[in-house]
Amino acid sequence: MTVSAAVGLFALPPDVCAERPLDFSRDILPLLSENCFQCHGPDEANREAGLRLDDRGGATTKLDSGERALVPGDSANSGLYARISSTDPDLRMPPPGSGKKLSDAEVARLKTWIDAGATWSGHWAFEPPRRSPPPSQVSGWHVENPIDLFIQDRLREAGLQPEPAADKPTLIRRATLDLTGLPPTIDEVDDFLADTSPLAYERLVDRLLESQRYGEQMARIWLDAARYADTHGLHLDNERSIWPYRNWVIDAFNRNMPFDQFTVEQLAGDLLPGPTLQQRVATGFNRCNVTTSEGGSIAEEYYVRYAVDRVETTSTVWLGLTAGCAACHDHKFDPLTQKEFYQLFSYFFSLTEKAMDGNALLPPPSVKVPSSLQAARQRTLTGQLAEVEAEIETAISQWKYEDPLAGKPLDPLAKQDRVWFDDALPPGAQPAGDGPDPWKFVTAPDHPVYSGANATVRTGNGLTQHYFTGASEPLIVGANDILFAYVFLDPKDPPETVQLQFNDGSWEHRAFWGADKAHGAGRNNPSNLRLGDLPRVGEWVRLEVPAAAVNLPPGSKLNGWAFTQFKGTVHWDQAGIVTIAPLGPQQAESLAAWEHYRKTVKHPALPADVQKVLDVEADQRTAAQSDQLLRYYLQHVNPASRARFAEPLQRRSRWQQELADLEKAIPATLVMEERQQPRQAHVLERGEYTLKREAVESRVPEWLGELPAEAPANRLGLAQWLTRPDHPLTARVTVNRYWQQFFGTGLVRTAEDFGLQGEQPSHPELLDWLAVEFVESGWNVKRFLKLLVMSSTYRQASRVTPEKLAADPQNRLLARGPRFRLDAEVIRDQALALSGLLVDEIGGKSVRPYQPAGLWKPVGFGGSNTSVFKQDSGAKLYRRSMYTFWKRTSPPPTMTAFDAPDRETCQVRRARTNTPLQALVLMNDVQFIEAARKFAERVMTDGGQDVEQRIKFAFRSVLARVPNRSELDSLKALYEDYRAEFASDPEAAAKLLAAGESPLDKTLDTGELGAWTMVAHLLLNLSETVTRG
Amino acid sequence: MNPLRDSALIETRRHFFGRAATGIGAAALGSLLGAELPGATSGAAANGASMGGLAGLPHFAPRAKRIIYLFMSGAPSQLDMWDYKPKMQDWFDKDLPDSVRNGQRITTMTSGQKRFPIAPSIFKFARHGQHGAWVSELLPHTAGVVDDLAVIKTVNTEAINHDPAITYIQTGSQLPGRPSTGAWLSYGLGSLNRNLPAFVVLHSTVNGGFGGQALYARLWGAGFLSTRHQGVSLRSTGDPVLYLSNPDGMSAKMRRRMLDELDRLNRERYAEVGDPEIQSRIAQYEMAYRMQTSVPELTDISNETERTLEMYGPEVKKPGTFAANCLLARRLAERGVRFTQVFIRQWDQHGNLPKDIRRQCGIIDQPCAALINDLKQRGMLDDTLVVWGGEFGRTIYCQGGLTKTNYGRDHHPRCFTKWLAGGGVKPGMVYGETDDFSYNVQENPVHIHDLNATLLHCLGVNHEQLTFRYQGRDFRLTDVHGQVVNDILA
Repeated sequence: MTVSAAVGLFALPPDVCAERPLDFSRDILPLLSENCFQCHGPDEANREAGLRLDDRGGATTKLDSGERALVPGDSANSGLYARISSTDPDLRMPPPGSGKKLSDAEVARLKTWIDAGATWSGHWAFEPPRRSPPPSQVSGWHVENPIDLFIQDRLREAGLQPEPAADKPTLIRRATLDLTGLPPTIDEVDDFLADTSPLAYERLVDRLLESQRYGEQMARIWLDAARYADTHGLHLDNERSIWPYRNWVIDAFNRNMPFDQFTVEQLAGDLLPGPTLQQRVATGFNRCNVTTSEGGSIAEEYYVRYAVDRVETTSTVWLGLTAGCAACHDHKFDPLTQKEFYQLFSYFFSLTEKAMDGNALLPPPSVKVPSSLQAARQRTLTGQLAEVEAEIETAISQWKYEDPLAGKPLDPLAKQDRVWFDDALPPGAQPAGDGPDPWKFVTAPDHPVYSGANATVRTGNGLTQHYFTGASEPLIVGANDILFAYVFLDPKDPPETVQLQFNDGSWEHRAFWGADKAHGAGRNNPSNLRLGDLPRVGEWVRLEVPAAAVNLPPGSKLNGWAFTQFKGTVHWDQAGIVTIAPLGPQQAESLAAWEHYRKTVKHPALPADVQKVLDVEADQRTAAQSDQLLRYYLQHVNPASRARFAEPLQRRSRWQQELADLEKAIPATLVMEERQQPRQAHVLERGEYTLKREAVESRVPEWLGELPAEAPANRLGLAQWLTRPDHPLTARVTVNRYWQQFFGTGLVRTAEDFGLQGEQPSHPELLDWLAVEFVESGWNVKRFLKLLVMSSTYRQASRVTPEKLAADPQNRLLARGPRFRLDAEVIRDQALALSGLLVDEIGGKSVRPYQPAGLWKPVGFGGSNTSVFKQDSGAKLYRRSMYTFWKRTSPPPTMTAFDAPDRETCQVRRARTNTPLQALVLMNDVQFIEAARKFAERVMTDGGQDVEQRIKFAFRSVLARVPNRSELDSLKALYEDYRAEFASDPEAAAKLLAAGESPLDKTLDTGELGAWTMVAHLLLNLSETVTRG
Repeated sequence: MNPLRDSALIETRRHFFGRAATGIGAAALGSLLGAELPGATSGAAANGASMGGLAGLPHFAPRAKRIIYLFMSGAPSQLDMWDYKPKMQDWFDKDLPDSVRNGQRITTMTSGQKRFPIAPSIFKFARHGQHGAWVSELLPHTAGVVDDLAVIKTVNTEAINHDPAITYIQTGSQLPGRPSTGAWLSYGLGSLNRNLPAFVVLHSTVNGGFGGQALYARLWGAGFLSTRHQGVSLRSTGDPVLYLSNPDGMSAKMRRRMLDELDRLNRERYAEVGDPEIQSRIAQYEMAYRMQTSVPELTDISNETERTLEMYGPEVKKPGTFAANCLLARRLAERGVRFTQVFIRQWDQHGNLPKDIRRQCGIIDQPCAALINDLKQRGMLDDTLVVWGGEFGRTIYCQGGLTKTNYGRDHHPRCFTKWLAGGGVKPGMVYGETDDFSYNVQENPVHIHDLNATLLHCLGVNHEQLTFRYQGRDFRLTDVHGQVVNDILA
């Protein structure tokens, strides 16, 4: 490029942009993209007039009209120029109604370009980054590393000067908050101040990069991109378990996993040869998307939606491209075709997951992720179980058994009464009935009693009853069994009807005596059968009901029983069933006798496979089946052998139980897994799942670089392609996000869009230099971040003069240190850290700290397991905010108030607003009031004795710097006022100090502590406190 | 800079510099509510001008200043309330002809049914109002104001399940991530009140509890717009606005003292470092302090007349009921809130429809009519647009067992009824016609994008020009669709 023109970089105010040569990619292509590509771009289906302006061939072709849009070197004969400069609204481009407009300066710029030969090149971001030599140093300006040379070169051009380094308290607070998400402690500040060596700052940075808190801070930001949350997101929004993936991310950052490996493991860890458990856990990245299980949903539609989400997310995070546009049509601005979109889609279309998540905690595929302790215990128990199995095995094979009754005829099974209810209800039964105390027990001699110590009695004026349900050991009905109960009718007050009702899950099994005035009157069928007249009064009578007659076939299980009457006074006693008598000890010594018995009397606890063998006639059984039966019999029935096996069996069952409990406690997490038979992907017209067009295979858009030669045609290949050292986008997009994290705004402000519609980089050469540096360092993240924070650019003071503010309000040129509001999580974590409440533990399951009552109920689906918020208590209230349970359809309000994204879709850039709702959170949320009061305790305990000392302690704890005289006086006056206030109203202080669940230090004076709480509260609300300056 | 590609990240700074002449207050309110009007003292802006919002909006003279949207979540049955199909009486328990369904997809809740037996409505319909609109006996009060309503019988959507459908009608997309209608209006038009948010959401109880199909924060979310445009839920229990009350033990006087000192220290810091965000934050605290007074005043209905309260019915005095929320919606409208959305759930009547719809109509009928009448009496119906309806309709065929007195209906996206009233809409009309089965649209279809385009139009907004640049693309509420339904405009 040789032409020179005044070019306004549209991200920057005109007056900071110097004269520089025209660059096609920077100065011309964005104008064409913004104003022309909607109709004359890559989208073939919607291209107007056959003209395409996104490549030079198309732009210079002779059109049907005979015109050429572009005649290089000759704007007068270029249709493009004629149309953009026309005053005729019918000819003018872009059309007046389109909402797009070229300024006169832009029209002039295009003319200059055409007349200079219309040089063409690709979009900058689609060419591999090249490292250009840093500019030379501006004499007298301080430089720490090459970053400063690039930044200062632009400052010099813009006529701005860098700021000197910030003071040490500011620096340590800035670096600590940026790298760990927590404020420095007073001790850390003192150490740093005391270290007067020139290496002090570097030592600080190294210490912070080694802190385990670093991994949490980096992971927290990554989880926005991963759209991590603890619920499924759609419809029921039930809980999901994927927090082990969060642990993986924290750990990966703390171990400084190279970014290429970080990429491969998350996108395709499952496809690596012999993947480790952790590599599989890493693939949770693409299981974080929202899913549904709404009744009525069509699976095919959701397979498509999930795959689209994964392409969009992957593409935003690694390519900085808005691929989603191409789901419906060729991309309007970038060269991504619809077909290429569905080729990417194909990578994510063949997973074993089901479209419907089943509202389950762990919709498959998932893996269990035991801790090292759990894994060790699991191994021990498995070994011990194998040993005891072997022991039992040996003993059984050595046991000599002969059936004493073998070959002899077996006695018929005797029947006898089995009493279910006599003096007390069966286990588990819930008494119920009419009146306040429905079960009235009475004793002899004042009352008739048939057996045992008591009977029940009921007097009523109409239909009345007492009953129970829910017996935990059901009464099992056998063939020809008879239900019975004893009744005594009061001769002075006889009823008109007595009725028995039986519950096997329903009450539709009844019998009555006397008048037809009880439940189910008028039916006279098995749901209410008449069995005769009223029994004789004044004596105990046994009522009998053949079970089959009231529709209770063999195998029915009763859990409830009702004693019902119409009017009169009735006593009831002993009730149960006439059934086959249990096996006696002698019979139990015979396998044949036991078999005979068990064939008739089913036992619910009998293992199903043993029952199955029993059902086979003895002479039809295979040898293995007979053996199986014998083994069961010896272990559990035969008295002699049972005694021998009791101890090892008990041991086995104890260990089995422990293992089962352990396995239940082992957390699991969602992962990716490829189907055996791939699912065929198609181009979908307008993105509609029903409109399948051309079939496509997994493939990358090769205009961004070819697939590496060895790369497989699956997600692993995709990941290998993304991490090619010369990939034009991955490194640029990644270093830009890191830049954004430490400088507030990316070098490319639109961190999510590096395409033609994205913003131009403020420092293109620096961006490329950083990208190449990052790749050549082996994608070393910690090393790269150290480079950023060691730069003199990062270390500048952040104060701003009106002149600089006017010249560069967004601080894109960095003539001063970056300064911005802290993220939601950091604001809360900082308060917790200052209060001393913060829990040190890293990782783990999500927790539910304070949240105003009743937030989930008004939105939650009744059947959802997250429709009721149950707050945690104790240490779980004070974990870092990244561990707060994230319910997508009603996220934590203190987080969203400070612009935390909703985690429904991938986000790589947070907004930073400033609203009254934020003020209300800091003013009134119990978490912040509690933090103030615990912080106040620390001030009183650790902050020295006199008021000024304490104020200094509090102030330095929060802001690292020492308060000036005026600040000190102001806080002192505030303290004295509140002290007086609380002295006259100690009850108010007590109320204030009751905020939150953490215990109060009762050794401290309430009024004083209240006043210090107010001082701490004020400090937590300072603008400076929620800002990292 | 082009205001349409305004970025949330720099908003407060821009406001500060753009309006430095009016002082600190302007900068601050710009961040939540738009710039302060010089001279405005409390409540609704005196001259009706708005604060915040985009330059150049409204695009043309608006007919309505604000919307009250009564959202029936779960999808009420058009067949039993509005879309009268007398011929269906002869079709009881006969199969829906294949020629009507025409292979259209249906949900997997009924796609496995062997039959699709027709379930005619058991409710009586009669003509009401001067134009003789058919209204079911379920809605006696609403029938009384039918001359004020424009009833649209041909609203349609593509989504067939609740989550995608309600997300679609609220945000223009079936997938999460886009701003809701109220957020678009807050972004485009700003607020008419400096003490209240521009977009307020109210949740209604049914028989004292919640329940029914889920709602989602995204339905009043700001998507990729600045979070300050998201709807603020006004709650009926606890603090009406989250974290509004001072903690126990902290009197208003103590709060004031703390805020004064905070203000002083923040100002001092501003003098030192020059960051305009500090000034903005100072003003946000003042705003928060004012909200501590203005919000309780809003929810205190003790100054409403008995006559007004009676109009809304006996439930109006129970906070959180639909009746109470309708009254609150009117009070919010009076105070210039741009968009109030009242949600009521439990319309998802797959079974036992007759019983459940009676309950629901019993809850909403009187308050809906009262809201129309109340607005009218106050002269506010002219510039308030009231919208009623759900996310889709219900099928003519029965889901589950069909008897003469009982039936259920599955989801039906291809036509359903909504009504509009007030600002900019023709009163007393019925628009669109469906076939005999209320299955397909016969004439004048109104897609939900068309409906949303029309709502924006009534507020003076060209739906194609209210856009936000995100990920390189200019997004809008109506995606790339939507036609204003001119026929229903006054």
